[in-house]
Amino acid sequence: MTEEIGINRLDRRSFLRSGLVFGAGAAALAAGYAAVPDAFARAVYAAKTNGVQNDHVLVMIQLAGGNDGLRTVIPLTDPKLHDLRPKLAGMSLAGALPITAEFALNQNLKNLKGFWDQGKLAVVQGVGYSQPSFSHFESTRIWETGDPSLRQVNGWLGRTLAQHYDSAGHPLTGCACGATDTPGALRDLQATMTVISDQKKYGFTGGSEVEAAVGALYQGTPGIYGALFDSSIATAGESVNALRTSAANYQPQATYTDQEQLVYASKNQLASALQLAAELITTGTGVRLLHVTLGGFDTHYTELTRHDDLMGYVDSAVGAFYQDLAAHGMADKVLIATWSEFGRRPKENASGGTDHGSASPVFLIGSPVKGGLYGAAPSLADLDPTNNLKYTVDFRSVYQEILAGHLGADPKEILGESFDRLGALQQPALAY
Amino acid sequence: MAGGAGIGGLRLLALAPAVQQALTGAHGSGLDWVSPLNSETARVNHLLRRTTFGASAAELEQASSDGYSRTIDRLLETPPQQPPPYELLGGYGVSPAALQNWWLQHMLTSKTPFAERMTLFWHNHFTSDYRKVGVRDPFIYWQNLTWRNMALTDLGSMLTKVTTDPAMLRYLDLATSTGANPNENYSRELMELFTLGVGNYSEDDVRAAAAALAGWREPTPDGSVEATLDQKNGVTRRYPTWSRQASGQFAPNRAYRGAPLKFLGKTQAWNTDAVLKQLLAQPATAVFISRKVAVHFVTPQPDGGYVKRLADRFRSSGYDMRTLLREVFTSQEFTSTNYRGLVKSSVEFMVSGLKALGNTGPQAVTLAGAFSHLMGQVLFDPPDVGGWPNNDSWVSSNTMLARVNFATAALTLTRQLPAAGSALGHLDSVLGKQTASLLNQAPDDHARWFIALASPEFQLK
Repeated sequence: MTEEIGINRLDRRSFLRSGLVFGAGAAALAAGYAAVPDAFARAVYAAKTNGVQNDHVLVMIQLAGGNDGLRTVIPLTDPKLHDLRPKLAGMSLAGALPITAEFALNQNLKNLKGFWDQGKLAVVQGVGYSQPSFSHFESTRIWETGDPSLRQVNGWLGRTLAQHYDSAGHPLTGCACGATDTPGALRDLQATMTVISDQKKYGFTGGSEVEAAVGALYQGTPGIYGALFDSSIATAGESVNALRTSAANYQPQATYTDQEQLVYASKNQLASALQLAAELITTGTGVRLLHVTLGGFDTHYTELTRHDDLMGYVDSAVGAFYQDLAAHGMADKVLIATWSEFGRRPKENASGGTDHGSASPVFLIGSPVKGGLYGAAPSLADLDPTNNLKYTVDFRSVYQEILAGHLGADPKEILGESFDRLGALQQPALAY
Repeated sequence: MAGGAGIGGLRLLALAPAVQQALTGAHGSGLDWVSPLNSETARVNHLLRRTTFGASAAELEQASSDGYSRTIDRLLETPPQQPPPYELLGGYGVSPAALQNWWLQHMLTSKTPFAERMTLFWHNHFTSDYRKVGVRDPFIYWQNLTWRNMALTDLGSMLTKVTTDPAMLRYLDLATSTGANPNENYSRELMELFTLGVGNYSEDDVRAAAAALAGWREPTPDGSVEATLDQKNGVTRRYPTWSRQASGQFAPNRAYRGAPLKFLGKTQAWNTDAVLKQLLAQPATAVFISRKVAVHFVTPQPDGGYVKRLADRFRSSGYDMRTLLREVFTSQEFTSTNYRGLVKSSVEFMVSGLKALGNTGPQAVTLAGAFSHLMGQVLFDPPDVGGWPNNDSWVSSNTMLARVNFATAALTLTRQLPAAGSALGHLDSVLGKQTASLLNQAPDDHARWFIALASPEFQLK
């Protein structure tokens, strides 16, 4: 044994004491990353005799900031809408796209209306949870972890990845497109996943020599971040190679427009993120669980044009994405679902906007979907004591539906308990 | 055979004696860095790494001869070096890219880098982004000047300032709120993110404070300037200007005029001043701010007893930031544990890397500005009202790739490399096995600097 400098042994207790923090200000993890080496992840997977065998793909679209459900799926006949929203209601109704006698989609959801007509859009109304948090960060974490008690630190997709997929050595199994850091929904200490902000710049400058040197540099890194550093670099190396191949093989079959800067001087980042998702899906990279985010939904002021523009962003990006998948013959495999940390207050404020609310609708989109309305729209005449909508569908029922009906992963293992299925998918159940 | 992959055949070169000792130890986890903090020089280096953008050999020598305690005094007592004025675009507005570069340039060259770290700390706490604030006035620029000047004052003054800060009035919508129909945005984040923390107030408190705080408007301009928008067709437009930095103005006719409200347990007539005083009267405020400071400077997970100690001192000092920071830097926790327990943010990584290379010119600034987008930390453009997340959130396949590429690009841009031995100073000569081995095998200073900047050691603070 030669001399050791720079490193010393860290016992399990010190790990517990120095455990990492999950996200901003959230509870500490039970143990540091370093206490859970990559090999452990493989061991966990190997112990599973029934990992997911199908090639189904899930794309979760986060509408960050709290999407106004009452301007997304508009209750045409609720008489209270005008009382609560004197400025917003009229304009919301003006160009709205009716899907039933009672409900209409936002005027800019034209592609989604097309999906509705084809039976490829499920609208789940009133999705939320009891005792809702009105904090962006707390409610986002609740949706990401699937745990309203805030005890769980790993994301529900991250846990799915760790428990049901062999992500070690296949870093693109789980991927965040258009993000710089790992979204909370995908986080799990025992899973490997890839994060790609800009594909054009996703590669080692200096080529394989640099890549090899860095690969050698990040081996057995000490400290509480050591394993996270090492696996991030290893993942970068592996995914860079996979992306080189996918970029060469990908032929887009749709036009993704991301250049307009309508909302807060921001481009439609969803369009480029979903185009990258389409590339990964259609070129056989083995991608299964994808997460993309569009921000800007925290519409406290001048909501009208802003929210319409955001709806337009979602619609054009999802429309192109589906067209692209369909042209590649992949549409049957892919389920698209939206989520947002909360809806908005039914009553508008002085700024022509709306404050933080509770329940809002979720869209399930694609060929695997059995189109229609699910859940019940909360009544504007029966608000809770904080003047917010009463939820009618637990958000974990949506996860239950996705896990059981699309991915074929046991929801109880992921969510800890069972929730009512929605019945919104063509395939009622997969083996798991 | 560790560390040989991909670089086999390179000449084995001796470097500083400290790294010549080959390191062994298990791969992967289970090992922690050996703390060098029993030495005064290492403690001073640790202090400067955590409070500035890293110390040059000369700075470290000076600080070491001053000693740890006097170095703290110097950090806390030296007034901030002011940046050169940012020249407003067209005489009225800002360019987000130019404004970011203006700040990066000052971070790289300021003689008081601690002031820049604290300005960044407050930019991350009382945050605003140019997208919502807009670029057609100097508001977002003013906010930066404000936090630099107030960084080491007291929390009460800062709360008064931030509530009436023109950029914040817009960013969290207080400027358009009315007592009759309040906008809750500022009220909620004032409690959740600026003072108490989630769980220490009710929804009724959010509503009450929203009503009580309403009435502020943006400052009235005292001039205007004509700008040519389209030279060819002669399209011009007038933009408002202010002859000096201004705060919001109170419009009593927009304020709340209803019955007394109950706010945090007390029913009375409230105004902005009273709301802020009531927030400072809550023990949770000192705990929340002290915890955030401890997480930023000391450890990702400070224990409750430590935070309480800091909070008690902070509160009894009248929320004096110098007192709190002195308590933090002199605490046993700061130097006894948590060595390399924090991850540098993207901006901290880039600025400390460029400073280490002695490359602080405009090209270096442009490079950092360009990479900030790939690394998820664009100044004046935080991801949301919570600011940037920290530590492990800075580590993903995407950000690590970007950091490695930044090291490559910064080296390409640097004509005259400092001696590679100085890189070790930035790493305390405490090296993991792989870093030491690769440094030993590196053929030249360019390769050594690359390894140093791309190493895990350099990502940490």
